[in-house]
Amino acid sequence: MSEPVDSDLSASPEACADPDASTGSADPSDFVSVAATTFTTVFLAELGDKTQLAALLLSAESGRPGVVFAGAALALICSSLVGVLLGRWLAAVLPAQRLERISGVLMVSLGLFLGGQASLGLLRPVIDLPNP
Amino acid sequence: MQLPLLASTFLTVFVAELGDKTQLTIVTISGTSSNTLAVFLGSAGALVLASLLGALAGGSLSSVIPADALQLAASLGFLVIGLRLILRSGTDAP
Repeated sequence: MSEPVDSDLSASPEACADPDASTGSADPSDFVSVAATTFTTVFLAELGDKTQLAALLLSAESGRPGVVFAGAALALICSSLVGVLLGRWLAAVLPAQRLERISGVLMVSLGLFLGGQASLGLLRPVIDLPNP
Repeated sequence: MQLPLLASTFLTVFVAELGDKTQLTIVTISGTSSNTLAVFLGSAGALVLASLLGALAGGSLSSVIPADALQLAASLGFLVIGLRLILRSGTDAP
């Protein structure tokens, strides 16, 4: 399963056509690759996330997917805003090197935990074969 | 307007997301990237699209998406970002 390589994104010239797209960071293609990396990771994590079912069930019960989507979308935008602001605050109070190391270790352990859970989930049908 | 339904969905999803691994990912990426707007747009866009799929498909989505396979792909993404951060923290000037 090839990892979504976003290096070709930064090669595309039109990515830096819009001057005000780059906020502060000189390199707009960095903007695109950061946004793309974040999008891919968060999207995969969220789609595979069991808690996503909370919104699904509400939507199925209520029969008003439009309202459920509005509520869920608003909540998710607020929660990602909280996450982004928290990240910025951490970056302001912690030395960059330490924050990077802590974040790196956190992400690796999260990846190992999730990967382990997922592979167990995938292997479960193989493991408990119905004994005759 | 279905305010009670809107409010209950908002609260359910917001509380479910608090401290969720998705939010941890967003905190980590935004804390270690100078591009805050890019991180916000990327994460908010991903979450909204994921919930759009969820709301549209109603209960049937869970039978359609291979949650474990997606989780495995996401975990690879976490590992890549995490290792890149650890390597970068090693090369930074102390």
